[in-house]
Amino acid sequence: MIPLLIARNTFREATRDRVLAGVVVAGLALLALTQAASSLAMGEGRRFTVDLGLSGISVLGLLVILLTGTSLVAKEVERRTIYNLLSRPITRPAYLVGKWIGFSATLWSVALLLGLALWGLVVLRGWGGHGLAVLEAVYLAGLELSVITALAVMFSALSTPVLSALYTLGFYMVGQWSYDLRMLAEKLPKELGSLVAVIANLVPNLPLFNMRTLAAEGTTTTWLHLALASGYAAVYVACVLCLATAAFESKDFK
Amino acid sequence: MSPLATVDSRRRRFLAAWAGALVLGTAAFTLAAAAWRTLPHPHPLEELSYYPSGRFLEPATLGHAATAADLAWLRAVQYYGQHRATDNQFVRMAHVFDILTTLDPSFLPAYFFGAFALAQEGRDFPAAERLMLKGLAANPTSGPLAFQMGFLYYVRPGGRDLRRAAEYFERASRQLDGPPESARFAAFCRQNAGELEVACELWARVERTSPNRYLREIAQREQARIREAVERGRREQAMRRLTTPVVLLKRQT
Amino acid sequence: MQTSVASIADRQATGHPAAGQTVPDPGLAVCVRGLSKHYVHSWTLRVTRGLDALDLDVRRGEVMGLLGPNGAGKTTTLKLLTGLLKPTHGRAWLMGEPVENTASRRSLGFLPEQPYFYDYLNGVEYLELAARLSGMQAATARDRAHHWLGRVGLGERPRLGLRKYSKGMLQRLGLAAALVHDPELLVLDEPMSGLDPFGRRDVRDLITEQRERGVTVLFSSHILPDVEMLCDRVAIMMGGRLTRVATVGELVEDGAQAVEIRCAPGALLEIPRHWAGLVSRTQRAGESVFRLEDEAQLGEVLGWLLQAGVPVRAVTPQRPTLESLFLAAAEAERERRQA
Repeated sequence: MIPLLIARNTFREATRDRVLAGVVVAGLALLALTQAASSLAMGEGRRFTVDLGLSGISVLGLLVILLTGTSLVAKEVERRTIYNLLSRPITRPAYLVGKWIGFSATLWSVALLLGLALWGLVVLRGWGGHGLAVLEAVYLAGLELSVITALAVMFSALSTPVLSALYTLGFYMVGQWSYDLRMLAEKLPKELGSLVAVIANLVPNLPLFNMRTLAAEGTTTTWLHLALASGYAAVYVACVLCLATAAFESKDFK
Repeated sequence: MSPLATVDSRRRRFLAAWAGALVLGTAAFTLAAAAWRTLPHPHPLEELSYYPSGRFLEPATLGHAATAADLAWLRAVQYYGQHRATDNQFVRMAHVFDILTTLDPSFLPAYFFGAFALAQEGRDFPAAERLMLKGLAANPTSGPLAFQMGFLYYVRPGGRDLRRAAEYFERASRQLDGPPESARFAAFCRQNAGELEVACELWARVERTSPNRYLREIAQREQARIREAVERGRREQAMRRLTTPVVLLKRQT
Repeated sequence: MQTSVASIADRQATGHPAAGQTVPDPGLAVCVRGLSKHYVHSWTLRVTRGLDALDLDVRRGEVMGLLGPNGAGKTTTLKLLTGLLKPTHGRAWLMGEPVENTASRRSLGFLPEQPYFYDYLNGVEYLELAARLSGMQAATARDRAHHWLGRVGLGERPRLGLRKYSKGMLQRLGLAAALVHDPELLVLDEPMSGLDPFGRRDVRDLITEQRERGVTVLFSSHILPDVEMLCDRVAIMMGGRLTRVATVGELVEDGAQAVEIRCAPGALLEIPRHWAGLVSRTQRAGESVFRLEDEAQLGEVLGWLLQAGVPVRAVTPQRPTLESLFLAAAEAERERRQA
């Protein structure tokens, strides 16, 4: 119950922030732009629209996380608004979980809004066969953003907004290369390969949530993929929030 | 009394959080490993293959086209190795090397590797030829590029193009950074293409300019051979019968 | 004061009370034993004692004031009680619950110093959130939010965004947030801060009202007249340590009553040697003033003045104020530290 109260408050905070409105407008503008530019794509208009639309959702979502999500907790600590919450009968884990739920809900709203707009565009343009693949890709993009949000909440609980943004961005970038790291680990000598494999597992496995190219080709993915991605996202998020809790539990608010 | 009863609730939450993190982390590790094993890996060149041209990609690199080319090069080599080891299907290779060399037209190894991979394993000589011509257009004074172009024609699967090979070997020999063996290769190709008079002149140049005594002796010998064949009216005696190049692709074990 | 807490001797022997083996007196709203907070610098490892071995009891229904200069440890104490800081040593209980348990904050209303709020909310939304986080149901929370917003004088514009609130309005809102869920214990850090005299009067009235309802109030303040007016007892802290706990009456009675004798100007009398240090003289425009440090000598001194023919105009007892005691205590602490 308490996490949901905090989540509702966090959602309210995020949706009343002008950054979010700007991002939604930018996303819709990007979709409009794809239509204007698709005639220049030499017959690849459909691919262009779907790929840019899906990339837009991910990139704009990441932007929202870096601008707003990474100061979710840090800003409250800085401004001391957190005193009003933690002096009430709520546990620190409940507070962090609530923050994550609220901000994730915000990002899912944005992803769904832009995703439905993209799906609508695809259907209107007569590319209805791509519709399901687009929806699957939007779902995976939402999972990806939830995972990155968990990292942002953790870093925000431990550090300043600027450093949190840098750490989150760093994990995002290395996470995009996690498959390359795994391939590299297989080719390296045993000890070094093990170290690289550990890094590949510490960072989020973001390629698992990427079916943008498949969607651009109109290819749906398997239930196994969706199940593995959903399970992995749930478990990774829970793990990160546990770590955040462990660190936050012993934090003093001077 | 349980040991946990003596620990205050804050510390209990702290320990529970760490325990949770370890268990969930292990679960995440397991799921990620399962995904790695069971799901198809994203095609390493997928993110490049949809761009109609490198021309559209370059602005997106925000001034880092050369770096993007380097990363694309890594992917391309990986792609080649992966398919060379498995199905020997190189469907996207021409497109990707085209993008690579558009991003960084001075990246010579991309032309060398790409052209030979296309011609041999890719079985697409016209694509290889186009790539090398693109390279020469972007780097007109490059001796190594001209030399490799000559060599490409020399090893063309299904039939060597000795005239064109010679043409490019000669071009390479005229460049400042041309490999020293360019003139010799040009002479050899002209000779075996039947252009004995031109070959003779080229051998004479090799004899005049080569610092290597052995090579000078070869040049003298070939000139004598040509002169003798021409005097006898048996030009074919100065020409060697060369094998027809083929591509043999075996799955690596 | 009867408690079943481990004796101070035991605590000193073990360093701090053993966890789980102490139960505070149920008559106490706040019970603190050996509470310490030390800060260790990350690089130099230098230890700064924010709070040192505090023992303090606050009875249920009592109003206690926490006095001390800046850096005395007042805010540290309040934050330790409300779970914002973790103690280095010692334990504390609120309404019988250890402060490490979230249950200890169920009946707690806390007002931090210079409170900040979510500027994207309005007054009603904020109070509703505060009430629900303290365990109230949605409908009740909404009613209480409206009630308390009006009670602190902010009810005319309930939908006004908090970013438009003045400092005084924010202070009132903070107080309302501390009271919205009908707590049994109020912990207020500088509740009068930022308020004009009318605001301070309203806060005093609120505190008095809560006391009459049986709510325990523990607050820190620099405004000593307010402390004198409101508090049953006062705890004086200096340099992270508790130096004195007593009623205001006890504190001022402790001070020896001085007397000021105003006389006509030009009374050039030599003060007898045996009264050196006891009687002093100052010249003011239009009069001479003799100050007698101990009123017990008043009769003798007056007799001496009258015998010398000095016209006495007025005899005024100098009742020590809390401020003067406080300043004296601060000076004594400073000397102790220098020694």
